[in-house]
Amino acid sequence: MITTEAPDRAEVLRYLGGADAQPDERLTALLDSCEKELLRIAEPKYLYRMIDLPCDEWIAGEDIRAHLRGCDRAILLCATLGMAVDRTLRVTQIKDMSRAVVLDSMANVLIEQVCDKAERLIAAQLPDCHLTFRYSPGYGDYPIAMQKKFLEALDAPRKIGLSRNESDLLTPSKSVTAIIGVSKEPVERRRRGCAVCNLRETCRYRRRGNHCGFENTSQ
Amino acid sequence: MDLKTLLNKKEFVLLDGAMGTMIQKSGAVYDHSPETLNITRPELIQSFHKAYIDAGADIVYANTFGANAYKLAESGYSVQEIIAAAVQNAKKAAERTGALVALDIGPIGMLLEPAGSLRFDEAYDYFREQIEAGQGADLIVFETMTDLYELKAAVLAAKEHSDLPVLATMTFERSGRTFTGVSPAAAALTLSGLGVEALGVNCSLGPDELEPVIAEMTRYTDLPLIVKANAGLPDPNSNEYDILPDRFAECVTALLPYGVKLVGGCCGTTPAYIAAIKAALDGKQYIPCPRSTDTAVCSASTVVEINMPRIIGERINPTGKKLFRQALVENNIDYILTQALSQVSGGAELLDVNVGHPEIDEKQMMVRVLKAIQSVCDAPLQIDSTKPEVLEAGLRCYNGKPIVNSVNGEEKSLSSVLPLVKKYGASVVGLTLDEDGIPKTADGRFAIAKRIVERAEALGIDRRDVYIDCLTLTVSAEQDACRETLQALRRVKTELGCKTCLGVSNISFGLPNRELVNRTFLTMAMEEGLDLPIINPNIESMTGAVRAYRVLAGLDKNSLDFIAAYQDTPAAAAKPSAAEMSLSDAVYSGLQNEGAAATRKLLETQEAMVIVNQHLIPALDRVGEDFEKNKIFLPQLIQSANTAQACFDVIKEHLSRTGTESVSKGKIIVATVKGDIHDIGKNIVKTLLDNYGYTVVDLGRDVDPQLIADTAVEQDITMVGLSALMTTTLGSMEETIRLIRATKALQNPDGSSRVKIFVGGAVLTRDYAMKIGADFYCRDAKESVDAAKTVFKESQNPD
Repeated sequence: MITTEAPDRAEVLRYLGGADAQPDERLTALLDSCEKELLRIAEPKYLYRMIDLPCDEWIAGEDIRAHLRGCDRAILLCATLGMAVDRTLRVTQIKDMSRAVVLDSMANVLIEQVCDKAERLIAAQLPDCHLTFRYSPGYGDYPIAMQKKFLEALDAPRKIGLSRNESDLLTPSKSVTAIIGVSKEPVERRRRGCAVCNLRETCRYRRRGNHCGFENTSQ
Repeated sequence: MDLKTLLNKKEFVLLDGAMGTMIQKSGAVYDHSPETLNITRPELIQSFHKAYIDAGADIVYANTFGANAYKLAESGYSVQEIIAAAVQNAKKAAERTGALVALDIGPIGMLLEPAGSLRFDEAYDYFREQIEAGQGADLIVFETMTDLYELKAAVLAAKEHSDLPVLATMTFERSGRTFTGVSPAAAALTLSGLGVEALGVNCSLGPDELEPVIAEMTRYTDLPLIVKANAGLPDPNSNEYDILPDRFAECVTALLPYGVKLVGGCCGTTPAYIAAIKAALDGKQYIPCPRSTDTAVCSASTVVEINMPRIIGERINPTGKKLFRQALVENNIDYILTQALSQVSGGAELLDVNVGHPEIDEKQMMVRVLKAIQSVCDAPLQIDSTKPEVLEAGLRCYNGKPIVNSVNGEEKSLSSVLPLVKKYGASVVGLTLDEDGIPKTADGRFAIAKRIVERAEALGIDRRDVYIDCLTLTVSAEQDACRETLQALRRVKTELGCKTCLGVSNISFGLPNRELVNRTFLTMAMEEGLDLPIINPNIESMTGAVRAYRVLAGLDKNSLDFIAAYQDTPAAAAKPSAAEMSLSDAVYSGLQNEGAAATRKLLETQEAMVIVNQHLIPALDRVGEDFEKNKIFLPQLIQSANTAQACFDVIKEHLSRTGTESVSKGKIIVATVKGDIHDIGKNIVKTLLDNYGYTVVDLGRDVDPQLIADTAVEQDITMVGLSALMTTTLGSMEETIRLIRATKALQNPDGSSRVKIFVGGAVLTRDYAMKIGADFYCRDAKESVDAAKTVFKESQNPD
């Protein structure tokens, strides 16, 4: 079981633009109140499964091959904040759009927090192992169509209510699927960054020489 | 033997245990889905069924849980092949044993709208295919469901494509709800109404933890309950479950007083569990457990018991409301949703939904509006139309147990509406009028009420689900009528044992101080036994009268609800002082009251358009620029935009008062393309465009290209904004653009397109946008406004 804590404020603000500004009193109050609501309604859940490598079933394209190089096992992971967050986002978008964008950004930060915590719990059971960063369908040339496979392998619809639609969007929307390489030898713990990001051409953070919070890996 | 005989004959009906666990333990290997084993290892599957029958199971579930077209897509087998083989395997095992075979159907594996994007009708088709393939079974079981809406599609498909009896079970979390938020009470109410033979719980938790769920279900149904629990929780390492057969049987037995009649096991259970249950049930008797609630209606998450006056909000109705009619014609669903949410905040516990208007397709609109309201609002709904086909379309897509408004004493109405109420398991409002109009006397109305109730009961509708409306007449026209209405109401309540409802505000038509008359009449009616006042819940004194009545009549125990509703009022009631502030500063700071006040002040001396062009728009531009320069955050930009909206509202009100034409600067369609369900970006664009004075027609998310083209044609709109978040949905964006370009009615005489299209979304690039034929690529909401300015500048008249 994972319990959530206040999502990193700085990251939430990064999602909300305003890189050169400090939030004023009113925005801070809004952030506080959204934080309270989100922590109340989020129902974080995760699932994982270990697989042995090499395993062709999970390889598609060059990027994932490179990502798992040197690993003899991998963790299939999925996590979600649950359905209530989506519903609240829908309702809030009608009632108060400025609140909705704050909740939305905060939920993005929170699901990463849940993944971090899940990953730490799993890592604790794998002493003397080294983990790669989380690699998700849709990164680089790893097809987003892999979503269905991830969800099936983890029995995610039944166990945590996480599924996908025909366009491979995850439902509930604040959810993640990822694969983490496990190696006996130290692996390059690159953070996921702009290099593998499909948004790199259009990213508003990169436009101003910044990044979204995941360390910029030089390119 | 069939299921009904089995249920009548036996004290308890034993179901089987887990199929998956048996497959796992056997080590059998399969590709894609375990259902393929029906074909590759028939004797193995038969041996599992046999083992359960030998252990005592009266019903075995065929190995068809995931045999739907979505899950079997890559298996190499069709739904028909798998299901036919599976039913045959089970039948073979059951031969000469008397055991029945159930066609077992689990969730499709994709989420339905609104949380997902699978449409109700699509879900229905998946289930229909399975049901048609499984006609050889003795009954149909739907299990492990987490979404009541999906389960409703399943049960309807079963009822409409088969004569087999249906069992239905859902899966609940430790929170007492399913993943999608369905409560056990809502499941029990809705499924009982839809005509299943028995309902209950499977999978979920161990039987030791299911008592709260079962206890809640039994309060809302007369049907026998089903318990098919997991063998506790699996150990994460060994995957062994922690409740052993004897303990399992003991826990199941403890649930019998709640009316449990069908028992078996889910994940982790084996024939040993079924044998243990059989032994434990030996000599015990089924304890029927009639529902303890009188009548109730529900959404998927919220049940409202009609055990005290409950407020039905009347505002979703175009009658006499110009803005509402306009919203219907323009497909402005957000306006209707705002009405729904504000009524609930005002104190409505149920909402009436009426979208009848000659200029629109009422049936289509009813479905759209009901789905939209259900996606944001938990209050149960009352489907209101004079047309049976509209009622039926609404009943189909409603998730829960609704109220139908209405049937009346006319033969035509009785014979067309009541069968729908029965089929979909709704409650119904019965109006005491018939071919001869509204009887003048209480006796006359009572007679019609009696007739309606008798007809309902003849169809198997419980009289407690018929809510009689004795009709409010205008007291200024017929002063005695009020007394007749109240007398009829009391008689219906006491002599027929029905609940009552009344539209209240009609009473005061033609009188001054209507509110006072309405409130007094409402109070009198409640004392006579009114259960469901249909009122405007945003009129504080009306809602307050209901709340106060509940306290005084001893219904609101310890005045808890009353205190909760009013303890904070004094502080909130103080009108916010609209300090002197320039319009520009108010917009920049995002202060709505101050902005509105400043606008009112300016209107005393300046023309509306001058205020818009010289004050409002420049202020918004300043905010936009600062956002671009990262000096302010997105929520602040939106707050400013909303302030501008408040200013526009003041201006619009002023113009409509002075009879000047509207200030709309142009009409724009926005939509998130088909397949895409992330719409926050589109909604930000909408907010901004709205507040720059454009009229935005928001078609929502996951929008069919044809709807976008059709709307553009119907409303003569020449600017369209499309949003797509994912690479997988860029194809839909391209297709939508192609369709708009190809639509003749949207072309100039020379064949060129009249429509300007702007596109945006996370993965989109300028190059790609141009490649797929867009006119503008907008990186953010601010750039959408720039695009709109460019487009509409050409067509604007210079003032």
